[in-house]
Amino acid sequence: MKKVFNYLRSMRFGILLLVLIAACSVVGTLIPQGREIAWYAQTYRSFHGVILLLRLNRVFESWYFITLLVLLCLNLTLCSVLRIFRVVRGAKTEVERAARLPDTVRLSPEGVENLREHLREQHFKTETCGGAEIFRRHSFGRYGSFLTHLSILLTVIFGALALYTPTVQDIPCMPGESVVLEDGTEIRVFDFHIADETGRLDYRSRVQIALPDGRSSEIAELWVNHPFSFGSWKLFQQSFGTAGSLTVTDPATGGSDVFYLTEQSFLSADGRSGLMYDTLYPDYVRSPGGEVTLITITEGTYPNPIYQVEVISDGVNTPALAVPGDELEVLGLRFAFNDPVEYPGLRVKHVSRLWNGMLVAAFALMVAGLTVTFFYEPALIRLDADGYAVGGPKPERMRVELGELFGEYETDSGEKERAE
Amino acid sequence: MKTLFFAAFALYAAAVILQFSGTAFRKEKLTKLAWFVFLGAFAVHTGFLIARGIAAKRLPLSNQFEFANAFAWGVALMLIVMRGRLRTDWLSVVAMPAALLVMTYAALQPMEIRDLMPALRSGWFGVHIGSAVLSYAAFVIAGSIGLRYLLALRKGDADKKALSQMDFLSYRMVAFGFLFLTIVIVSGAIWAEQAWSSFWSWDPKEVWALITWIIYAVFLHLRVRGRLRGKALAWYLVIAVPVVFFTFAGVNTLMHGMHTYG
Repeated sequence: MKKVFNYLRSMRFGILLLVLIAACSVVGTLIPQGREIAWYAQTYRSFHGVILLLRLNRVFESWYFITLLVLLCLNLTLCSVLRIFRVVRGAKTEVERAARLPDTVRLSPEGVENLREHLREQHFKTETCGGAEIFRRHSFGRYGSFLTHLSILLTVIFGALALYTPTVQDIPCMPGESVVLEDGTEIRVFDFHIADETGRLDYRSRVQIALPDGRSSEIAELWVNHPFSFGSWKLFQQSFGTAGSLTVTDPATGGSDVFYLTEQSFLSADGRSGLMYDTLYPDYVRSPGGEVTLITITEGTYPNPIYQVEVISDGVNTPALAVPGDELEVLGLRFAFNDPVEYPGLRVKHVSRLWNGMLVAAFALMVAGLTVTFFYEPALIRLDADGYAVGGPKPERMRVELGELFGEYETDSGEKERAE
Repeated sequence: MKTLFFAAFALYAAAVILQFSGTAFRKEKLTKLAWFVFLGAFAVHTGFLIARGIAAKRLPLSNQFEFANAFAWGVALMLIVMRGRLRTDWLSVVAMPAALLVMTYAALQPMEIRDLMPALRSGWFGVHIGSAVLSYAAFVIAGSIGLRYLLALRKGDADKKALSQMDFLSYRMVAFGFLFLTIVIVSGAIWAEQAWSSFWSWDPKEVWALITWIIYAVFLHLRVRGRLRGKALAWYLVIAVPVVFFTFAGVNTLMHGMHTYG
């Protein structure tokens, strides 16, 4: 049992897990993830059975990948969090242990004095123990590794919570209209534009969130990289679309209605005759002979829109093109073609601010932990009349730095060499 | 402005040729000249980066060309800083070609200045991509030190002190690069939450950044453990560099994802 426990907390096991996670990740990028099964059958032919069996089409959601992450959490907990006790215990006795270090680098009396001066300039704290001077710096650095490992553990835990607990839905909403969510929250879109006044692509909406309890947010601007939060809802400017806009008037009654159309639609009073809206093209070119060439792709906006429709009358379909400002009359109904309307595709996310906040805190802790680990390494130097020794949990950097400065160099095995 | 870029490119190439010649024929004057040419190349390169930033009215880091250009500049900067601190030139023979290699990749990319797309207009842009430049440059320098270590072992022209120095410096470069790669991933996650609504999407670029992070995390652990030292670690660093290049260029070229514009 103890062997198993020791293995679970070992660095070797941690490294093995990291390597396996990396290997799964490589596979997860080489094989496109989350496609239709038919796509795998067509692309990988006979091999697709293996892909589906091993869940290689959804590696990052597979049981084995999640197991690896859970084991990594276990390893981090056992290896690092439990290790903190040893680190704290070690810190209490480090000066006494340093005082017992034998001189590994011998210096002349002048060299000793120079080193003492150098260490003071470097803001080392000094104390005396066992007849030797002990110089210390960055004692806090010993906790860097612990903080880093703890932050990775927290990142995995809070990352999973922040990724998998929110509900997300994408909703298109026409400017001037609103969408009511399942819980009664209403999202109102006042306006939207794709490009700003200089013509630069911008994708900006003015929105408002009204909660079921009657509270409403202020009208806020929403654009890419600038989500808007209110209550536990967060809105993102996710996508955009352009809808055709037609005003249909019945001259007999004088009634009219405006329709926003994003897909093929049949507008009719009797269900048999009327106007079939096919699509809207962003641009077109008319030849001198009057022939129209439709242009399907432009960047962002619709500079010169044209409607493609079919007039359906008595079972006869007559294709037609119309530009904003045109009107068509079909069996008593008047169809006026308006300028297209740009509308936002909003991503509506129900978030937990707690998990998000904890994840960001874990990130900050990770950066702080690594900074402490690598750039505030604890240094502990024992200096006496004959020379010095470097101790502490991470002596390498100080050995190298002092070796370079004082003309002595200590090799890994502790042997001394005089530098050239 | 292209003239500045190609002038820097030509000077880097000249520095590499001079450095190789000086090393091969053991002519110290040539290697000294190579260094001054390299410094000149770096100055011109810096001028190009500034000019491009002014012309684009933003940090010149938004596409493959601009990133590769900054990446090469980062490699050159780190070589200059390290040489200044070490006062030896053992690294130049491998790090100079590394900078030139990245410059060559940049030269093959479309160079026109384009307006920053909305998704990239964020305060995180500089932090995320600037950190990536420093991180990748540090890993390339670490790999260069690893290569130099192996060459020194093969030729038998380095004493224990020099080898230990290389070993330690490669570790320091990995530590530096690792910290900045962590900042890349962390800042990218926070930015992704603002732009795309999710901290992590298992996008190929994200995943390869994670793979690179794991590769160097394993390096750091192996070194701390003392299991791997000297030659083995040097090989590890050399082999890891292609992964860095793949994360930077290969993913964008071969895989489709949310970072395709990069």
